[in-house]
Amino acid sequence: MKFQIPIGPQHPALKEPISLRMTVEGEVIRDADIRLGYNHRGLEKLAEQKSYIQNIYLTERICGICSHSHAVAFTQGAERLLEIEPPKRGLYLRHLVAELERIHSHLLWLGVAGHEAGFDTFFMYTWRDREVVMDLLEMISGNRVHYAINTLGGVRRDLDEALRKKILEGLDVLKQRSEYYFKIGASEPTFVARLAGVGKLPRERALALCAVGPTLRASGIPNDVRKDDPFAFYGEAPFEVATADTCDVLGRTVVRIKELFESYKICGFILKNLPSGPVAVKAPRKAKPGEVVSRYEAPRGENIHYIKSNGTDKPERLKVRAPTLANYPATVEMLRDGFIADIPLIFAAIDPCICCAERTVELRDARTGEERSVRFSELRRTAEERFRRLPAQRNVPWPF
Amino acid sequence: MTDQEKIAKFRERLGLKILEATSPSPRRVFLTVAPADVKAAAEVVKTDLGSEHLSTISGLDLGETFEIIYHFGDSAGNVNVRTRIPKADPRLPSLCPVVPGAILYERELQDMFGIAVEGLPDPRPLLTPDDWPAGNFPLRKDWTFERPQEKIPGGKT
Repeated sequence: MKFQIPIGPQHPALKEPISLRMTVEGEVIRDADIRLGYNHRGLEKLAEQKSYIQNIYLTERICGICSHSHAVAFTQGAERLLEIEPPKRGLYLRHLVAELERIHSHLLWLGVAGHEAGFDTFFMYTWRDREVVMDLLEMISGNRVHYAINTLGGVRRDLDEALRKKILEGLDVLKQRSEYYFKIGASEPTFVARLAGVGKLPRERALALCAVGPTLRASGIPNDVRKDDPFAFYGEAPFEVATADTCDVLGRTVVRIKELFESYKICGFILKNLPSGPVAVKAPRKAKPGEVVSRYEAPRGENIHYIKSNGTDKPERLKVRAPTLANYPATVEMLRDGFIADIPLIFAAIDPCICCAERTVELRDARTGEERSVRFSELRRTAEERFRRLPAQRNVPWPF
Repeated sequence: MTDQEKIAKFRERLGLKILEATSPSPRRVFLTVAPADVKAAAEVVKTDLGSEHLSTISGLDLGETFEIIYHFGDSAGNVNVRTRIPKADPRLPSLCPVVPGAILYERELQDMFGIAVEGLPDPRPLLTPDDWPAGNFPLRKDWTFERPQEKIPGGKT
């Protein structure tokens, strides 16, 4: 007998509240249906009424975690329309903040994954270490989340030698800690066993459903905008595209840990090769009619902005596609034929941070028509309970 | 594959169906095709460029016409397929049979521009609320929003 569970739509901690309606048969999810738009802010329409410089601050507020990535995507597009080239130092500093943001986002995700898998020590560790990078970001920009460091033609703040040393020291600490996380995979078989085989997304389906970011790369497809479409200095920066071929939550975890190391490498490259000179050039206010497609690899995947200018100081059209939207069709695929108890883990794995929020799930029993409300924490407890009773998947290798 | 090689490939495969092909900046190719030929262009991206990644679909209101741009990503930049449909009769064939991941973007087009996407597996509204008044398409240039007066239940009228 099939019945439906509505999940959502309101999650206070989410940027994008979402409603998922699960059709379940017993414990098994047969289908999931997505309904969006609960927090639609009409941002694309609003952008048409703001000038280019105002739009930087508008786009920065699209996302609360990877705020910098939208601002970068917009700024590098607008710079091309305004026909200005940011100085090299400005570009390096912009992407230093971008990589530090990737580090903070991935550390945050690792904590969430640990929490959802019932490994709260891991959660405490990663979030404590995340403070190191948050402090660095605060020292560079003055803010922990909305850095507001981009401007048309470069960045707004410069770096001095003392701060450069501090960032390098902070990165050393983080690198050591990340090596420790990497070892956890080999020494903590229960954690690995919990993640393995959950939320399967085969390679062909990931491609067909246009998934992006770590979700796609964990299905063995080495797509990364930084490599495929090397904007700024990524063509010369030394880094590898991290992939895994297990196609499950374990793979997505491994990809993110690997990407942490790549980001440390890129940050090191930037700080070692930081050119001298100005950090910004003066930008004109009006752009000639034209259009530009700007792509950027956000922590969650490809971020694309399409900007059309019309000769005034305001864009004619700004189209934004955030990576989480691209991953929704793939999420439905991952949930299908999974267990109710795995919902938190699968959701968390695309990194929409849906599971950070405590929220209510309503279970409707089709046989009795009875509805019961379950706190999300209770659902998580069910998940842990189920896993505790399961025979452990032995000898799951850590695919590093 | 360079931009010029990509354009040559499209011209070879689709011939006169390509109405215009330009590469305004490095790693960006813009093609213009008729609405019925978007599927054929997507097939070329899939088979010849070896990528079926559709980044997103942008809609633009140009006054009398709508411009739809399909942004495809591949391992060497991106290909943008542009098509135009009249605003008086906004109909567009769905890309879902070729690229299943197009569904959310096409549903967004329906909500925001009022373009009827034909052959969509799931044509329900995606972004607009359930009680959204019919015939209101926010991203059309002539659409303006009048905020209805707020009614507080039990409050003063």
